[in-house]
Amino acid sequence: MSELTHTPALPINVAARAGVGSGMAPDHAALMAELGVKPKPGWTSRLPPSLASFVTNGKGMAGVILLLILIAASFAAPLISDYNPNRRAGKPSQAPTYEHVLGTTRMGKDVFTQLLYGGRVSLGVGFFAGVAAAAIGLALGISAGYFGGRVDDIITFFVNVVLVLPGLPLIIVIATLVEEASPFVIGAVLAATGWGWSARTIRTQTLSLRTREFVLSAELLGERKWRIVLIEIFPNMLSFFMSGLVLGTIAAILAEAALEFIGLGDPNAVTWGTMLFWAQNNMALQSGAWWEIWPPCIAIMVTGASLVLVNFSVDEITNPQLKASRKIGRIRRFLTRRGRSADVF
Amino acid sequence: MVFLLRRLLFYFAAFFLAITFNFLIPRLMPGNPSDRIIASFQGRLTEAQVAAIRKSFGLDGNMWEQYVTYIGSVFRLDFGISTVQFPEPTASLLFYAATWTLVLVGLAIFFAFTIGSFMGIHAAWNRGGFFDSFFTPINVMMNAFTPAIVALVLFYAFSLQLKWFPLGRAHDPNLMPNWLDLKFLGSVLYHATLPVMSILLVSFGGWHLGMRNVMINLLNEDFVILAKAKGLSENRVKYRYVARNAILPQITSLALSIGYMLGGALVTEAVFNYPGLGKFTFTAIGSRDYSFIQGQLLLLTTAVLVANLLSDIANVILDPRLRK
Repeated sequence: MSELTHTPALPINVAARAGVGSGMAPDHAALMAELGVKPKPGWTSRLPPSLASFVTNGKGMAGVILLLILIAASFAAPLISDYNPNRRAGKPSQAPTYEHVLGTTRMGKDVFTQLLYGGRVSLGVGFFAGVAAAAIGLALGISAGYFGGRVDDIITFFVNVVLVLPGLPLIIVIATLVEEASPFVIGAVLAATGWGWSARTIRTQTLSLRTREFVLSAELLGERKWRIVLIEIFPNMLSFFMSGLVLGTIAAILAEAALEFIGLGDPNAVTWGTMLFWAQNNMALQSGAWWEIWPPCIAIMVTGASLVLVNFSVDEITNPQLKASRKIGRIRRFLTRRGRSADVF
Repeated sequence: MVFLLRRLLFYFAAFFLAITFNFLIPRLMPGNPSDRIIASFQGRLTEAQVAAIRKSFGLDGNMWEQYVTYIGSVFRLDFGISTVQFPEPTASLLFYAATWTLVLVGLAIFFAFTIGSFMGIHAAWNRGGFFDSFFTPINVMMNAFTPAIVALVLFYAFSLQLKWFPLGRAHDPNLMPNWLDLKFLGSVLYHATLPVMSILLVSFGGWHLGMRNVMINLLNEDFVILAKAKGLSENRVKYRYVARNAILPQITSLALSIGYMLGGALVTEAVFNYPGLGKFTFTAIGSRDYSFIQGQLLLLTTAVLVANLLSDIANVILDPRLRK
């Protein structure tokens, strides 16, 4: 929680505006201590600023750690569980026991094993669709923003169409016609329909960068266009790309689960969505088999929540005002304690 | 005016693109619906019967003729005949189901937008305070809990365990549908409570975060500082100066999110056995009723386009800069 040290000018300026002059304040170190600003650990200062702000954000790191645990658990599935997710492992509809940590399904399959193996597919498809959608958005957004003119008109038209057409109903039509769509078909369709938001934000950002001095100077130096796009503009878009990736992944994981839950997926694939589908089909709720339905629910919820946490810290990189606002509560309380008006904010 | 005309032109183009997609998707896919029906008879059909089946799916003639016929049928609201509720025309089923979906989504959007926006205003105004640092992450996380799961949780807790709410239907079957009858209206609201709650719970966080982030960026603008310096009351600055400007992009994204909300409603209805588009689509998927599945896409697309047009009109009314 030491982001303030990147911009030590902020609290001092703010304090000065509120009337806490240098004469009143004891000294800089004491003020910082009272504000709760700890000295910055050495290793973060060697990172680039945006990465350092990501690493020091508690919320974002909590999300990253949760995600890593989920990914590690699903990749280590064969080490954690001896059962086969597609085979009978015991008596049907058993409540959790020592052998079956999360019980068994009505078909006698081990729920915990299915959860681990299902995570591979659900997370894999989600990240695949998220990365693909963000990459399409990046390519189209930069092209539209940088080249302008006719290229921009055409791309913007398609971006608006993709934004306006309702995604899930469209995917329902395609998935029905494909007949028992495999998880990767669903992922591909999600990627093909999910790039609208990131294309739009990246186009807007590119538009504002295009007139900046460093791009102009590269143009005046006679750099080729693709080089300007790759070397000058692309690095500035990384945080927006990340944000598109995280949001796209959340949307894809949730949409995949929803599609499979309503019966559009391949019922023989083991994913969190098909686990829900079978549980609902077997009336798990009505028959009291809670262990069949809640584990995939909780897994999806934890994944979604951890990605949202990551997105909070990506948001603070793309929009620095949000980062500053996180500290304002502390500064306000500090000013109130010293009997100063905190009205400036 | 020029702005609205340009938008109108765009919506027409988007609508035609959607119709074209709807026309092309089944024709480009391997194994279109009519082939599947013909195959299911395993060669026991005469040539005339095969031709009749193909004709009923609009598959006679060359692509261009088919396209013209298809567009004609869309404008006559002729979506074919339902195979599940044979011989009911798909259009009448669609409009019956859409009424109930409209009830759900309308109520959910209204409450989610209002609650979310007010929470966002409050969080941005007291940014960094307890409300902001506690409720903002929690509300946004609820956004990622997906309608299917929240619906299952609510259904389990309040319909199955506590039995406070019904297990299905949109109204008491003993009441005649009459929107002016208070008893009927009460029953509709009672049956809609849980489905609306589950769409509401996963969507208000988005409005909270959107409103908060837009407002935070506005709070440092000069006009806000000037308004404060003039000594205007806190509420006046908060609502008339900052929130009024922050709501403009929110209205645009409200219209764009309607497609997403409708998608959420589809899943929610399937859980609550609510007779809206979602439940009918659910049955249609099970029995491969293609005319219904395609019809729902067209209907929802039209709904989203109309919503976007309405949001553009609202933006023109609220934002004098667009009225030039």
